[in-house]
Amino acid sequence: MDDRTLPPPDVRALMLRLNARAWGIAVGLLLGGGLFVATNILVLKGGPVVGPRLGLLGVYLPGYRVSFAGSLLGFVYLFVIGYGLGSLIARVYNRFAR
Amino acid sequence: MPRALTPPEPTAAEERALERALRQAFAPLDKRAFGLAVGVATALVVFALTAARLLLDPTGRTDLSPLAQYFYGYRESWGGATLGAAWGFGVGFVAGWFVAFCRNLVIALWVFAVRTRAELTQTRDFLDHI
Repeated sequence: MDDRTLPPPDVRALMLRLNARAWGIAVGLLLGGGLFVATNILVLKGGPVVGPRLGLLGVYLPGYRVSFAGSLLGFVYLFVIGYGLGSLIARVYNRFAR
Repeated sequence: MPRALTPPEPTAAEERALERALRQAFAPLDKRAFGLAVGVATALVVFALTAARLLLDPTGRTDLSPLAQYFYGYRESWGGATLGAAWGFGVGFVAGWFVAFCRNLVIALWVFAVRTRAELTQTRDFLDHI
């Protein structure tokens, strides 16, 4: 078939589509991993009072503390929040992308 | 003497699949839609954060008021949460639009460089054919 006889490419198909699940996992890992690393850096540094400011996150994330166990719980919390945000971004984008 | 191995010619279906994959890989991001998406997410974060502060921390152990340094008029109240969401949407929209713009620009420059290099390679020995 001659290329000139092909139908013109669909412009909508040319615009990038985002995978909501992949975006959710990516943003979730970024946020969860970030809190996990930040918490454990403070735990390893130690001191008389460990991470008094980061510990305030426990107000919003019940059970979170600046400890190794807290970093695991914080990872789960922020992974879930990040998953929601990432998939929201992808869904809104796909809805409005021309 | 063993025959030289030559890769098989791709079928029409394989070529179509490759073209689809390449098109998906290099397709541009819609700047307006990406700005909108990041704006909505940022607005939601600012609103949810303020709402959590009002509902979960009524004694005010955490202090979100420094957000007013960036979001003019922001306060730790329901009105402030709405205003913060509006600010968040604006800031998120600009940030998302700019990220999409940069991503599209980098992809376009990269494709241009690869194509130019390939064309130069093809025409490097053109004098030999005259």
